[in-house]
Amino acid sequence: MEIVVCVKPVPESETRLRVSADGTSLDPEAVKFVLAGYDESAVEQALLLKESLPGSKVHAVSFGPAPRTEEVLRAAIALGCDQATWVEAPPGPAPDPVATGRALARPIFAMPHDLVLCGKQAGDDEAGLVAAVLGELLGVPDVGFVVDLRFDVPSGRLRFRRATEGGLELWEAPTPCVIGLQQAWNDPRTAKLPAILKSRRVAIAKVPYAPEDSSAPRSVAEKFELPPPRTGAAMIEYKTPAEAAAKLVRVLREEAKVFP
Amino acid sequence: MTPTVLVVGESSGGRLAGASLEAAGTARRLAAGDGEVVGFLAGAGTGAAAAEFARYGVGRVRVVDDARFDAAPAAATAHAAAAAADAVGAKWVVLAGTTFGRDLLGRLATRWNAAAASGVTEVAGDAEGLTVRRPVFGGRATETRRLVGDRAAVALRPHAFPSPAEVPVALAIEAVGAPDIPAALFGPKRTAVETAGAGSGPGLADAAIVVSGGRGLRAPENFRLIDELAASLGAAVGASRAVTDAGWRPASLQVGQTGRAVSPQLYIAVGISGAIQHLVGMVSSRVIVAINSDASAPIFKVADYGIAGDLFEIVPALTAEVRRVRGI
Repeated sequence: MEIVVCVKPVPESETRLRVSADGTSLDPEAVKFVLAGYDESAVEQALLLKESLPGSKVHAVSFGPAPRTEEVLRAAIALGCDQATWVEAPPGPAPDPVATGRALARPIFAMPHDLVLCGKQAGDDEAGLVAAVLGELLGVPDVGFVVDLRFDVPSGRLRFRRATEGGLELWEAPTPCVIGLQQAWNDPRTAKLPAILKSRRVAIAKVPYAPEDSSAPRSVAEKFELPPPRTGAAMIEYKTPAEAAAKLVRVLREEAKVFP
Repeated sequence: MTPTVLVVGESSGGRLAGASLEAAGTARRLAAGDGEVVGFLAGAGTGAAAAEFARYGVGRVRVVDDARFDAAPAAATAHAAAAAADAVGAKWVVLAGTTFGRDLLGRLATRWNAAAASGVTEVAGDAEGLTVRRPVFGGRATETRRLVGDRAAVALRPHAFPSPAEVPVALAIEAVGAPDIPAALFGPKRTAVETAGAGSGPGLADAAIVVSGGRGLRAPENFRLIDELAASLGAAVGASRAVTDAGWRPASLQVGQTGRAVSPQLYIAVGISGAIQHLVGMVSSRVIVAINSDASAPIFKVADYGIAGDLFEIVPALTAEVRRVRGI
């Protein structure tokens, strides 16, 4: 199976967020970028499928600026992806999800792709739209919020679950297909040192950014705000559990107004 | 001139999803003045859901009565919705940011050539377009984004907008056939639904109140304390990763970075210390209550109200008090 996995560099989840000088975005200065959490699961899922289907290949693709995009592609190689393609992003604010989808679709269209895997959303903009955009542009179906993705060899179909508001749904789909992944079979693996060292010497294919990809439609970030620091919980003082319960119910009713 | 707004509804068993009603209310606000709101539904037997649209002030409902959509991915519905938006001359599309709505949005935006934003918690329109606010970085920041261009589509975060009041209007259904949709989009099929353990309670993502349990419960049989408190409040049950990894509760109930992000009106964390993994999944809840034996647990830093104490004493007392006050 020819598997394409889309990956994105995002700030590490413990990173202290700062607002840029113009107030419209995250200040990327001194931020450590890592492979997005759900993309890590997508890479894991791609590698699990590759290992279970002899002759498969995994091609990692990313869109973004230097140096972080090249770094996450090298991380994907170190984890076990066979090839990597980097679509270089222009300087300036991050393009919106539709423009990102267009930039990724261009090289993916030209490479074999039985399965295109993305994390269901990235932990920075949390848009979760790229899988659907890719599906439309590549002319193949897409399904998001997928867990437990398997390939059934006799029928040649993908089988998976989808985590929805109503519970877990069982699905099957033909290939080619785009999948927005929520969870792989396993926790994502970590790369071993020799593989990390080797990944530094692997050639990464570079694709220049095509400006028409972001010409329209688009959205523009106007403001990026951090919430006032949480001051910590108002702790309820009590002598007996019954008193604690009564006081909590009273504040939820009268102060917070969220009691049903 | 105020534009025409299309609101895409999501229904199951003849009922319009609560989040779709919030979308209908917001669409009506955006079209206030001389604009018009048109409802859209695709699937078999959408008549009852269309009637519900009319009960909340959206009388003109475009319906594609076609059972193929019921088990197909949102991608197919997106094509039909884009065709409907064109047919009624809509400028903006509003939908519920459920799992279905978000899968639909990216397709619709690409196909219909519109700017798009998901997870929206505030939206305002003017002659030039829409401005949205949405939490990012797991609720640790908020961005304001301007959707530029002639058309825009937004998916609203469930519970972020009020449920509209009933304003019944006459229902005018416009039944149309499905547009020409590539057969490949009907390739993926939903074959079954396994409902999440608890059964009768509200779904985790859709609930106004969520009660979650963590490692502090010590053993799987103690999780019934969470079930009982949730039942008394009419709340959904969630769990921390420690609980789902240990197999006490199914993975579908996990709240957090690798599970589900929730933003209810009230989130009660019981025996959960507050690892960042968990916090990113619930920190955008409106009011957070933490009950934990360790007064220095990080969960108390993000909570609005805290009780430091033995959950095995506090939780049963709280369940009893809730039942007493609610008369159940």
